[in-house]
Amino acid sequence: MLGVFAAAMMSIVAAGPWLSGSSPIESAVISWPLPLGTAHLALDGLTAWFLLTIGILAACVAVYSPAYMEGIAGRAPAAAFGALMCALMASLILVVCAADAVLFLVGWEAMMLTAFFLVAFHHDLPEVRRGAWIYLIANHIGTALFVLPLFAVLTGGAGSTEFSALGPAAGTFNRSTLIVLFVLGLLGFGTKAGLMPMHIWLPAAHPVAPTPVSALLSGLLVKMGIYGLLRLLTWLPPLPTFCGILLLIVSVVSGVMGVLYALAQHDVKRLLAYHTVENVGIIALGISVGMLGQSAGHPALAALGYAGALLHVTNHALFKGLLFLSAGAVLHGTGTTAIERLGGLAKRTPVNAFMFLVGATAICGLPPLNGFVSEWVIYSSLFAGVFRGVGASGAAPALGLVSLALMGGLALACFAKVFGVVFLGQPRDAIVSAHPTPVRMKIAMGGLAIGCMLIGIFPGQWLPLVQSATSELVRSMPPAEVELAIRSIPAPAAELSKPIAVFVLVVIGLVLIRRRVRAWATALHRTASRVVATWSCAYAEPTARMQYTASSFASSLIVSFRALLWPHRELVSPAGTFPVASHLETHAPDIAERELFEPLFGGLARLFAMVRTLSLGGESGAKPDIAAESGHPGPVRTLLLGLVSALRSGSIQVRLAFIVVTLVLLLVFEAISSPTAVNSPASHKSVDTAATEVKP
Amino acid sequence: MSILRAVLAVPEAIVLLALPPLLLSVIAKTKAKFSGRVGPPWLQPYFDLYKLIQKTPVYSRTTTWVFRTGPIVNLAALLTAATLIPVLSSDSLLGFSGDIILVAYLFALGRMFTVLAAMDTGSSFEGMGASREVTFGTMSEPALFLSFVVLAVATKSLQLSQMMGSGLAAEWQVAAPALVLVVGALLIVLLAETCRVPVDDPATHLELTMIHEVMALDHSGPEFAVITYAAALKFVLLGSILLHTAIPHPPSLYFLGPMLRMVELAALACLVGIIESMTARLRLNRVPMLLAGATVLSSIAVVLVLTGRMA
Repeated sequence: MLGVFAAAMMSIVAAGPWLSGSSPIESAVISWPLPLGTAHLALDGLTAWFLLTIGILAACVAVYSPAYMEGIAGRAPAAAFGALMCALMASLILVVCAADAVLFLVGWEAMMLTAFFLVAFHHDLPEVRRGAWIYLIANHIGTALFVLPLFAVLTGGAGSTEFSALGPAAGTFNRSTLIVLFVLGLLGFGTKAGLMPMHIWLPAAHPVAPTPVSALLSGLLVKMGIYGLLRLLTWLPPLPTFCGILLLIVSVVSGVMGVLYALAQHDVKRLLAYHTVENVGIIALGISVGMLGQSAGHPALAALGYAGALLHVTNHALFKGLLFLSAGAVLHGTGTTAIERLGGLAKRTPVNAFMFLVGATAICGLPPLNGFVSEWVIYSSLFAGVFRGVGASGAAPALGLVSLALMGGLALACFAKVFGVVFLGQPRDAIVSAHPTPVRMKIAMGGLAIGCMLIGIFPGQWLPLVQSATSELVRSMPPAEVELAIRSIPAPAAELSKPIAVFVLVVIGLVLIRRRVRAWATALHRTASRVVATWSCAYAEPTARMQYTASSFASSLIVSFRALLWPHRELVSPAGTFPVASHLETHAPDIAERELFEPLFGGLARLFAMVRTLSLGGESGAKPDIAAESGHPGPVRTLLLGLVSALRSGSIQVRLAFIVVTLVLLLVFEAISSPTAVNSPASHKSVDTAATEVKP
Repeated sequence: MSILRAVLAVPEAIVLLALPPLLLSVIAKTKAKFSGRVGPPWLQPYFDLYKLIQKTPVYSRTTTWVFRTGPIVNLAALLTAATLIPVLSSDSLLGFSGDIILVAYLFALGRMFTVLAAMDTGSSFEGMGASREVTFGTMSEPALFLSFVVLAVATKSLQLSQMMGSGLAAEWQVAAPALVLVVGALLIVLLAETCRVPVDDPATHLELTMIHEVMALDHSGPEFAVITYAAALKFVLLGSILLHTAIPHPPSLYFLGPMLRMVELAALACLVGIIESMTARLRLNRVPMLLAGATVLSSIAVVLVLTGRMA
């Protein structure tokens, strides 16, 4: 653990000079013959920003881990855990510092494998093994099918594995190759980052990993996917607008669906994992605005979008790390993270409750904490995108804006649910006890919480740090304009800090006034405040079981969004004069898992079983178990059945509707496939000629 | 900011801080008029606040510091928002480019802490109210942001005082259809966010049907005074956003502008009173439809503005 802490500190120190000013790229070539290249390490602004993120979070996790592992694992092999953490740390630093494709991939693979062993640390439990396998397989598919081909094409074009050679080579590629490269990067790095629908490993791996590892997975490993995507964008010339819009749509889907699934979860850590999907969506939203700005030739817009994304990378590492560590303290204290079993922890572990509240307020993007600062920059970039009419004349950023607002509202609902149910009210399950949180865990969480508050209250000091990382990303644009755009990033933050200071002062002032008023009223009446039971409509003995549950709290929103979520509800309602046991179960199975991966892998399993039967003669293969067979029909199946039955019913309106829908789809296809933009006269002409040709 | 502006800000701030309870009175008087009653005295809300402040508070034994902090954070968030929103005059004290986002999130911060304070009691009624509050809050947020997009695109600004000042008056000449839709959406958001009929009924006496009132069931004494005052302040702030959008004053009005704005706020309170007297509260599962309606109105407005700009 000491090693991890030292490495973290060193990475912060190394990142320092690049954040304060732009120094030239420093590189170290180790003449160590790799099979296909040399071990070339380099530091630039982008690397420095990610090193800073790694350093802050890893240092706090290093302080936190020993106390946590003592409490949870007892006599588990702590040495192995420490060694693996050090290895993970080393591979993370290698990934961001590598300036050579082969070295990058070596670091990438090492990071994935060490994280696998850490996720599977409690491997005696079957669900841990399952989560770890899903993690390993999903990530390897992402790497093998998408990241490797991506580097193969790039290095093949460049004739070298050096990163510095990839940029000039990418400039010579034609448009369709660039789009293919971007899509490969999006799929490969998106799997690591947890963008929907490649996110399924996150909710599987996060809840089963030891909590410090979950914090690192969510705060840092996922960010390596973002780093990969950003690094790819530094090599590619400005991409067609279509790519930016594609990324924007993917990030909006990730964001909204991620937070909706989070709302439906019953386990704190699983819920936090889905929130990572949401926040990666927010980061990707910033990147997509950056890309749209680049393809439209607006350096100021591009810089603002990328800066928002980078700021959110660090901010998310801070508050999500804090939330995971705090959830770990809940697990450490009570032995469970099942939301419905907990309650009233604010009374028993007040410090931890405060830490979770700071994290929850930050992740909802509320002022005066750090989440607000980066979301504010991303909002500003989206507004700027609407103003300049980039991305389908401003419609795409407008969609991003409204989705970001919706995500904010849903995240607030979700964290009101978690904090309200887990920490407030009364304990729901009498068996669950709560041990106090060890001091070292409190210190680690305190570090992250102070980070969240400092960034939130003094944004003017924080925003300039992101300038050199952002300039790496917009280097392909005219340098004079870039210089101006980069300088303009932190300008409004100084203005932002004024109202935030006002807010902090007003809170302090109101607390003081309230004290004075209380003292005055007490002197007036000579009575102190009274403490009684909670009002329950004159019922004198309210019990903990009468509290509102987390599922009830979330249910009105989940019902409102059922068209997106397809929640599964099993209700045995009380019936008769003397009702016997009744029960209610609600789940929201992941739509990507059910409708995309299960049929895909189920089909593959059946195919392999057939091949095996053929080759071995008669031996029947293992039957793939598919959750969709459980009887509750999924959205796709319901939709198809509905369509078939509507067609069978034979009413003329339904058939007309089908014809109209088909026509609309054809027109959309026509508009997309024509090389010019939708609104240009050329595309109208081509539609017209197509129509006249059909006429006899 | 000029010295004159700073000097003028003092009386404006005093009026702004003193005004909110009076508007509650206007609503109450209007409703009384409609039901043929005289209604409480004009200054009744101030008497109520004074009475509450000196009362000895009663706390539930389940509650923690969150319960006592909730109302204070909510009020502080609204007071901070009041420095950014143009209320009486057409500019704001601390306005800056991008302040609309801060204003929306300050409202959200207030909601978060109100909801947490309610959940701190462990009461199922308050949990219910909290759940409804976050549900409806989530649904009104997209409508509010889409309205902001329309105003921002129309005036090319991200600063509330510029988005609603005289720049908007010129826009009414060219983009009136979109702005009418925005005003409609903002009115629905106002009714939902300030918990008025048809979304919530502040006069109801049944815990099961309440939203805002039920969250304050266990709050008493000074805390309840803070909550009541904050609700009135929120009405003034959201009402000002609505009025500055609907009726942008030309700068030539000088000192008459703020006076006129006060009259308009009273008229808005009257309008809310009339709506409360004429309509019944919606069934709770119909409220999302209303808020979705507001979102649709503002989306159409966005489409109108964006296409209008392209042409």
